[in-house]
Amino acid sequence: MRITCPHCGARDAQEFSYLGAADLQRPEGMAASEAAMATYVYQRDNPAGVHRELWYHAAGCHAWLVVTRDTRSHEITAVEVAKVRKAGATA
Amino acid sequence: MAETARSWAARGAWAGIAQAGQLGATGPAGVTATLLDGFGLATLIAAPGGAAALSQAIVARLGIALPAMPKIASSASHDVIWSGPDQWLLRATTREGFGSLLEALSAQAAVSDQSDARAALRLSGPRVRDVLAKGVMLDLHPAAFAVGDTGLTSIAHIGVHLWRLADGPDGSVFEIMVARSMVGSFWSWFAASAAEFGCRVSTGRG
Repeated sequence: MRITCPHCGARDAQEFSYLGAADLQRPEGMAASEAAMATYVYQRDNPAGVHRELWYHAAGCHAWLVVTRDTRSHEITAVEVAKVRKAGATA
Repeated sequence: MAETARSWAARGAWAGIAQAGQLGATGPAGVTATLLDGFGLATLIAAPGGAAALSQAIVARLGIALPAMPKIASSASHDVIWSGPDQWLLRATTREGFGSLLEALSAQAAVSDQSDARAALRLSGPRVRDVLAKGVMLDLHPAAFAVGDTGLTSIAHIGVHLWRLADGPDGSVFEIMVARSMVGSFWSWFAASAAEFGCRVSTGRG
């Protein structure tokens, strides 16, 4: 599998390390219930299909990326820089 | 006391690892390796939104602009090498005046002197790409990797930073930089990979 890093270009997946789902939202501070925190920490979807996930370009530019990948075919349809996406979300 | 003084003497990154001579097959060398020493090196990291100001400061002092893409820009005495988003390596051919240059740039960037932290190697020769193909996952053919291109990748699980300089008489010329602590492992890979083509090893500055 090759991931096209927005900074470095197409690179072998062995240059990257995988973190997991990209769109988890941490419950708000001390107000969160125990159940909500448990869900945030432990519960994951396991989709057969499109999945947005975090990858770290450890052997390259050291950027965190959000990769949209089909878990059945490994087809990658989008790669975004996580920092840019995060800045956009909070703006 | 004499023993202590000797063990603390400064030595280059290649000392005790590699030396000038012929490696592997005899006859005309397929690869030429120059062990580089004596250069000044620093990492520059711009603050968010500060890359333009840093680039202007570099232009004013050295006459070269910071590349926004994975490229290297060079003057006669200095190189700036892309090393990640808003990050660059600054290399000087000598360490004279390097400290004061870094001091001046520290107003615009997070600057960290790495002069003794990396080992650098210049590679050329008719078989240079055949050697590199044994470890580098990037396509280094001139059609895919132009003069002035740089890449951060790994060779034999060792993080490397490599770039292509202007062609020499034998074709493509590459430089590779590795963390000094990994240079023994890197040289082990290189020596084994270059042996079949024959490699002439020399030392140089820069």
